[in-house]
Amino acid sequence: MGAETDPTQAIDKALADLREAYLPRFRAASSEQGLRDENAKILGKKGELTAILSLLGKAPPAGRKAIGEKVNALKQEVESGFEGCLRALRKVKREAELSAPPFDLTLPGRVPVAVGHKHPIAIVREEVVAVFRQLGFAVFDGPEIEHESNNFTLLGFPPDHPATDMQDSFWTKSNHLLRTHTSNIQIRAMKSLKPPMAFIAPGTVYRRDDDATHSPMFHQIEAFLIDRHITLGHLKGVLAEFAERLFGPNTPVRLRPSYFPFVEPGAEVDIGCVFCKQSDGTRKGCSICKHTGYIEVLGCGMIHPVVFENCGIDPEQWSGFALGMGLERLAMLRYGIPNIKLMFDNDPRFLAQF
Amino acid sequence: MKASYNWLRELVPQLTATPKDLAARLTFAGLEVEGIEEYGAAADACLVARVTAVRPHPTKSGLRLVMVDRGGPQQEVVCGAPNVPEPGRLVVLAPLGAHLPAKNVTIAKRAIAGVESEGMLCSEDELGLGDDHDGIIVLPADATAQPGTKLSAAYPAMRDTIFDINLTPNRPDGLGHIGLAREVAALYGFPFRLPSPAAGTDGATSGTVGDLVTIEVQDAERCPHYGAAAVVDIAIGPSPAATRYRLQSLGVRSISNVVDVTNVVMLAWGHPMHAFDLDRVRGKKIVVRRAKEGEKLTTLDGVERTLVADDLLICDGPNGEAGVALAGVMGGASSEIQPDTKRVLFEVAWFDPRSVRRTGRRHGMHTESSHRFERGVDPGDVAQVLEDAVAMTLALAGGKRAAGRMHVQGTRVSGEATPPERRALKLRARRLPELLGVDVPFGDAVAILERLGCEIVAKDDASVEVLVPTHRPDLGREVDLVEEVIRVRGMDSVPAQLPAIRASRDVGGHEELARRARAAAVSVGLSEAITYAFTSARALEILGAPTPTVLLKNPLGEHHAVMRTTLLPGLLDAVANARRHGEREVREFTIGPVFLAAKKDGDGLPDEQLRIGVVLAGDRPGWLEKPQPLDAWDAKGYAVAIAERLGGPPAVVGVVPASREEAASLAPHLHPRGAAFLTLGTSGLRIGSFGPLHPDAVEALGLDGDVLVAEIDLEPFVDGPLLPQYATIPRFPASTRDIALVVKDEIRAGEVESAVRAAAGPLAEGVRLFDRFVGGQIAAGFSSLAFRVVYRAADRTLTDAEVDAAHANVVKSVGERFGATLR
Repeated sequence: MGAETDPTQAIDKALADLREAYLPRFRAASSEQGLRDENAKILGKKGELTAILSLLGKAPPAGRKAIGEKVNALKQEVESGFEGCLRALRKVKREAELSAPPFDLTLPGRVPVAVGHKHPIAIVREEVVAVFRQLGFAVFDGPEIEHESNNFTLLGFPPDHPATDMQDSFWTKSNHLLRTHTSNIQIRAMKSLKPPMAFIAPGTVYRRDDDATHSPMFHQIEAFLIDRHITLGHLKGVLAEFAERLFGPNTPVRLRPSYFPFVEPGAEVDIGCVFCKQSDGTRKGCSICKHTGYIEVLGCGMIHPVVFENCGIDPEQWSGFALGMGLERLAMLRYGIPNIKLMFDNDPRFLAQF
Repeated sequence: MKASYNWLRELVPQLTATPKDLAARLTFAGLEVEGIEEYGAAADACLVARVTAVRPHPTKSGLRLVMVDRGGPQQEVVCGAPNVPEPGRLVVLAPLGAHLPAKNVTIAKRAIAGVESEGMLCSEDELGLGDDHDGIIVLPADATAQPGTKLSAAYPAMRDTIFDINLTPNRPDGLGHIGLAREVAALYGFPFRLPSPAAGTDGATSGTVGDLVTIEVQDAERCPHYGAAAVVDIAIGPSPAATRYRLQSLGVRSISNVVDVTNVVMLAWGHPMHAFDLDRVRGKKIVVRRAKEGEKLTTLDGVERTLVADDLLICDGPNGEAGVALAGVMGGASSEIQPDTKRVLFEVAWFDPRSVRRTGRRHGMHTESSHRFERGVDPGDVAQVLEDAVAMTLALAGGKRAAGRMHVQGTRVSGEATPPERRALKLRARRLPELLGVDVPFGDAVAILERLGCEIVAKDDASVEVLVPTHRPDLGREVDLVEEVIRVRGMDSVPAQLPAIRASRDVGGHEELARRARAAAVSVGLSEAITYAFTSARALEILGAPTPTVLLKNPLGEHHAVMRTTLLPGLLDAVANARRHGEREVREFTIGPVFLAAKKDGDGLPDEQLRIGVVLAGDRPGWLEKPQPLDAWDAKGYAVAIAERLGGPPAVVGVVPASREEAASLAPHLHPRGAAFLTLGTSGLRIGSFGPLHPDAVEALGLDGDVLVAEIDLEPFVDGPLLPQYATIPRFPASTRDIALVVKDEIRAGEVESAVRAAAGPLAEGVRLFDRFVGGQIAAGFSSLAFRVVYRAADRTLTDAEVDAAHANVVKSVGERFGATLR
């Protein structure tokens, strides 16, 4: 066989053989890598098709173009066969992965950070503050250790009033006291700013009681609004709005006259019991509300003119209301906490519930 | 205040409301009825029965078989009481099925020592009428009830409904039935007639009270009115059943007829009074004076009290030398009514409420008397109260009254009381809608005031001028009258109206600051503790905290005697508590002030600084790996994370490890090897510290195991987080190079990192320690620190050559500086 032998026939044969063989060879591959290897054997730089193509130079020039077209055609066939087999292999693999046994999602979840918890009193505090902020009230800060005047005298507490007693207040050796309520903020606000004003004062307060139902340190939120022509009706309006926003729609509010030295008239406020509320908005009565359908949540009243006078505000020109509530009670009601002491033990098992 | 429904109906005959309705009406007028009790409910279920025959029990000597006539069939019951009367007398039979609430029993047929009994003869105790359980009730010989009559029908005094009224301290008038009745009449719009008891003068002795006793009031300011009356030739004995039952139903023990008189009168008028055995009043003289400092008095409760000059005393003796009572609070034993008392002197006085209050508090005494005096009894009813007492005494104990009364009012001594001045108040019609937000017809408002006892002295369309009754010391100005009007009309008559609120701005900013700190701490997995602001001086000393400057005068105990200067004691208490309960995992924070010495230019109040404190104990939260105890680096992680969240993304939060000297002086509560300070901003302002608690403190506080703590000042964050400023996001890719350096252990990673950063030059965008390795092929005393350096230019893709050059400098200079070798 001479170098000048026309290889055309041999090329045709080789192409025909390869056309027969490539697909079964691809199909025989059991892995993607195996398939790629097989593909490389055929189409790679040193592959079989390249080898075939290398014979082209020996073919008569007139036939080269036709051979080239055949080679290219086969190359495209092989490529598409490879793609097809690759897809099939991947599909099989995907299906195998999908049908493998499910993950055990009963194992604990991975959390980026173990979750932390706000104290129930803080949750209620933030909620109440948020409600009053929505209504237009702002927060006025004040100290926990206070002058007697701001805590009692200027609020119109008569001298030797029960609450001013050594039994009830903690006094410091410098003759200041731990504030017994957040009402000191009324005085601080009225002495430092001119009306109108709409403030809330959340904070820690102290009374000298330590028994099953009292903690010597507890929390209150005071809200007060002073403007021209503020009435008891406005107080009721704000209370109704507060109750609906904090406790939900259909929360009735009722006032019972009561006495606090710094308001007149003064009242205690009951709201519709949150525990025995029915879907139609009525209450069926329960042990928490002692079958009255109402629970007591706060005290309120129209700011006493003597308080205005003590702060240099003319009660003929301005009027206002104040209301105050204990956050412990709200939290206990809201979360069904049976004992106030639980809230100051800081037991992790307690805190983790909120 | 316990109040009798029957008594109120006697005083307001028009009243038809049921007890439940009356209770609601009172509650919504500000006299909160907290409870309603049925007194003598068993009297509805029991019958009057007549004893017809008595025979001994066949086997048991203490028992008898009593045949009774119950208005029809005769019936035999077994009775163990010692006082079974002879046939003919009336007793009380609880028939089969009768329920006795006081003993919570229902009568059933049962055999007693072999003999069937179909009922029970009852004692007062069993009926809940009194505490006499020595024998069965035997009705008086002259009782006329027919056998078979329901007991409560035959004896209405045995049955009542009792209200428990929670009176606010401004309503002393409600502490007596007459005051309550006046209120009830006003609420229902009924006329009210004050009972006007007058013992009369029939059969009075020729001598007057003044002949029997002299009264000298030395302190007219604290005792502006001292009234007295006397009854002689009395016979002390038990009170009639109706009186006993009434007292019993109101929670007062019946003692004797004369003592009972003082209690019934007090419960009627709300005005406490005192009865002296006149023959035991030394020197026939009563003196009202201030105590001498250190003077002793043994009060009726058997306690010897040491008095101070602020205490007001009732004394006897020619010079008033012997104290017999603490005025308005409690009597003494020396002149109390005895079974042989023949002559009684009644005292009805008005004592200064503040004085009574101080004395009561000082001596830890709270009595029915002091409770009323300190709220202010009616200064205008002294004469009526005395007359009522005398009249009731004559009825219950016989005798004759001494003619007249004695009223000592300042320097004036008279047989008639001078009425106290009444306060005049003006109510302007327009103030009602101005304050209430509802129109009230002025005539209706005035009518309400009149019903409450105000006397109208002038009235026109725009205003009214009234004289306030002496029993309402709480009505001091116009607004009090407005309240009376709405109280009686009902607050539900005021329509709710949401005002247009002119919004204010926050003052102080601490609520928002605390809210942000709380959110930050919760976001890193801490739970919030609320800790007491008071602690013990010892705990602060153990923790090396600043010496407390706010000391409580009247703490609940040494453990709560000072205001904290660090937040840690409360948090460490929480750890101790949790560990006691077997809970080892504690990751908590608390937010609150510490109390430091007052600032020089301030208002004299302590400097309250808001802080957040953190405590960590137990294992690091992980996922199914072997648990690892939390360590100093956890403390650092939490502390830095909280500060960064508070400061906002641009905040520069740094950590400065404390030298041993600094740890000892500035953070003595921390482990000296693991103490560090937290800094904020480029100035390095120190805002807190963290680390493991010093083992000495762990031991001294009995904490049973390691604890990590952190404490951060919140004040530097009060202005809110820093605002991030947008920086261009890089457009060109970064190249990273890692370098592992083996350095001596004493060289701190932070120093190496800074050196790497410096050496890497301006192309280095970031340097991060990503691995630390000890042991293995690393020689002892050395550790391998691996850093990843990210190189990037803002304006082009760096070439490998550029990056390699920069990184080569890192290898060279860090190696030279620390003697570090490449790994």
